[in-house]
Amino acid sequence: MKVLVAVKRVVDYNVKVRAKGDGSDVDLNNVKMAINPFCEIAVEEAVRLKEAGVASEVIAVSIGEKPCQEQIRTALALGADRGIHVETEGKVEPLVVAKLLKGVVDKEEPQLVILGKQSIDGDNNQTGQMLGALANMAQGTFASEVKVDGDKVNVTREVDGGLQTVSLKLPAIVTTDLRLNEPRYASLPNIMKAKKKQLDVFSPADLGVEVTSHIEQVKVEPPAERQAGIKVADVAELVDKLKNEAKVI
Amino acid sequence: MSDFPTAALDDLIACVGAERVLTDPESLQVYGRDWTRFHDPAPAAVVLPGSVEEVQAVVKAALAHQLALVPSGGRTGLSAGAVACAGEVVVALDRLNALSDFNPVDRTVRCGAGVVTASLQQFAEDRGLFYPVDFASSGSSQIGGNISTNAGGIKVIRHGMTRDWVAGLKLVTGTGELLDLNRGLIKNNAGYDLRQLVIGAEGTLGIVVEATMQLSRAPRDLAVMVLGVTDMGAVMSVLQAFQGSLDLEAFEFFSELALQKVVEHQDLQRPFETATPYYALLEFEQHSEAEMEQAMSLFEHCVEQGWVLDGVVSQSVAQAQSLWRLREDISETISRWTPYKNDIATTISRVPEFLAEVEAVVTEAYPDFEIVWFGHIGDGNVHLNVLKPDALPMDEFKARCGEVSRWVFEIVQRHGGSVSAEHGVGLLKKDYLHYSRSPLEIEIMRQIKRVFDPSGIMNPGKIFDA
Ligand SMILES: Cc1cc2nc3c(=O)[nH]c(=O)nc-3n(C[C@H](O)[C@H](O)[C@H](O)COP(=O)(O)OP(=O)(O)OC[C@H]3O[C@@H](n4cnc5c(N)ncnc54)[C@H](O)[C@@H]3O)c2cc1C
Repeated sequence: MKVLVAVKRVVDYNVKVRAKGDGSDVDLNNVKMAINPFCEIAVEEAVRLKEAGVASEVIAVSIGEKPCQEQIRTALALGADRGIHVETEGKVEPLVVAKLLKGVVDKEEPQLVILGKQSIDGDNNQTGQMLGALANMAQGTFASEVKVDGDKVNVTREVDGGLQTVSLKLPAIVTTDLRLNEPRYASLPNIMKAKKKQLDVFSPADLGVEVTSHIEQVKVEPPAERQAGIKVADVAELVDKLKNEAKVI
Repeated sequence: MSDFPTAALDDLIACVGAERVLTDPESLQVYGRDWTRFHDPAPAAVVLPGSVEEVQAVVKAALAHQLALVPSGGRTGLSAGAVACAGEVVVALDRLNALSDFNPVDRTVRCGAGVVTASLQQFAEDRGLFYPVDFASSGSSQIGGNISTNAGGIKVIRHGMTRDWVAGLKLVTGTGELLDLNRGLIKNNAGYDLRQLVIGAEGTLGIVVEATMQLSRAPRDLAVMVLGVTDMGAVMSVLQAFQGSLDLEAFEFFSELALQKVVEHQDLQRPFETATPYYALLEFEQHSEAEMEQAMSLFEHCVEQGWVLDGVVSQSVAQAQSLWRLREDISETISRWTPYKNDIATTISRVPEFLAEVEAVVTEAYPDFEIVWFGHIGDGNVHLNVLKPDALPMDEFKARCGEVSRWVFEIVQRHGGSVSAEHGVGLLKKDYLHYSRSPLEIEIMRQIKRVFDPSGIMNPGKIFDA
């Protein structure tokens, strides 16, 4: 069984992001980039399927500018067999990403596509679902457990107040939640081997997709600074302030 | 304390106020000891001065009543320097915790002695700068304590010890006078640099009340590698290979047993499946792709040489942090076994031979004990931790460790090393000071103490007996 995993290059989760001076976007100048944490979980899950003998090949795909090949290499070091880079310019919105992924799905015909439930930059949580619709594939989102069983995949989903398990007919789409697994470290010997693994580059045109844009980013601004707290002398003062200043009681 | 004179207590209260003089049993327990557990805390009182003047007043009151004082910071010390077990008065600097007068041109900031190390680090980070002295206890230790122990930590290989970051300090001496030493100057060869004597004095010369700390540029994009290494000699070969072509920010090591304990108790992931006797953790800046390429080819070289069997490198800040925890969480993890700690060092070139000898003695002497090795090996410094078997009574454990320590310290002495690389001497190591210091050196130290503290009220009995 072929498994396709999508990986996105995003600002490192631990980096404090700053808005550009003109408020047009987040400042990405000299900022550390990394693989989106949910995508990392997706790669780990695919590699585990391969190690368990369920998957025969794991293909890592990333859409973006040239540097996102670094994240493909990371996926290859973690155990993916080969990589596909769809080279785009600037920001691409979820619908376009889903269309490009659909192009790759048509080419590779994987039985399972694993994506992160969202990327931590845009927080859109749309790509997996859109791809499901475009490719007419079953989808199990927010997965905390994935079990392939013959021509089905059982996906346990984290829903409000509990867990829900759905059984999907393959080929299917799974999007990962945080508790699905704990990704491994990329070992140095595997990083070296990854350099020699196949990485094909396509343009959107190669996949027959026209890159369009429907969304305009109007403004990016940091959250309002929180005011420093104050100390009150006694309960009476606290009650007074809550009543007369904060007006909450 | 029944024999503590009421008049003395009244005078202390007059200095800092009744609420800032603690005598309840719980406070005496808490403030009476540091991170070590070999002495029963028994201070007479704890005072919490809120200003330099109050510290001076406390010292003068102590002089009047002949009270011994124990300066106290975050009490994370590992050599029983901040232990009060003989009716002393603990002077806790917690309230002198202001950060002020940040100077972006000099890149300095004024710190009260009670500023927590991590607050200074955060202060620097918020201004795009860096305070590089760092270790696992920096969330609790204080600048005054760091200065008084000349704390080292995990970045010494690149950034040096606390000493290198103290641009100036203020000391209340044993006579209650205030010294303002060096005032932030980079160049100041006008006579003796008394500041340097105070750094590492473990509170025996006076109370550090304030310091002007130097900050540095923030490091860029740090990568962390953990390598599985075949033996101690190989650890040093790896160090040499990497140091030859990369500016390392850190080079730490730990043993397989250390890794096992940390992974088990901190719920962490092993870096890789291969188990090796030792692990090296290194950190370096990536200004460009060149550093990582260099590091990769060094790794290959180390594998070819048979020094290294496996390795990982962080792919994100989160991974870098998790890899660091494998090293940083060791101390805390093993504290449940009340470890007997040796903090020994020699010059880097002598480390392999030195450690082989120490290892031989230790495995011979403690066949039934668990020994955890880790430390700042890039500085020639190892922490040798002997874990107490649960069944063994503390006194017996201490006695056996003390005896073996002598053999270890004889090796230290033969290699011209130090019996305390970065933790200080306190009560714990004072019987062994002579393995690292000549009688003349110790005598001069005593004389210096008398100059700063003629009445001998400042942390008496620590480092050496007056
Ligand atoms: C988990 C852990 C990891 C550690 N790792 C390291 C490490 O990597 N490197 C390292 O060097 N140390 C390490 N330490 C030891 C310890 O954290 C350092 O020695 C630290 O500098 C102590 O600071 P403190 O404020 O806790 O001092 P305390 O323990 O309160 O005091 C230490 C000594 O300084 C004196 N003192 C404190 N404040 C003052 C003052 N204002 N004026 C005069 N004297 C004063 C005390 O009397 C005592 O003698 C570690 C400790 C722990 C618990």
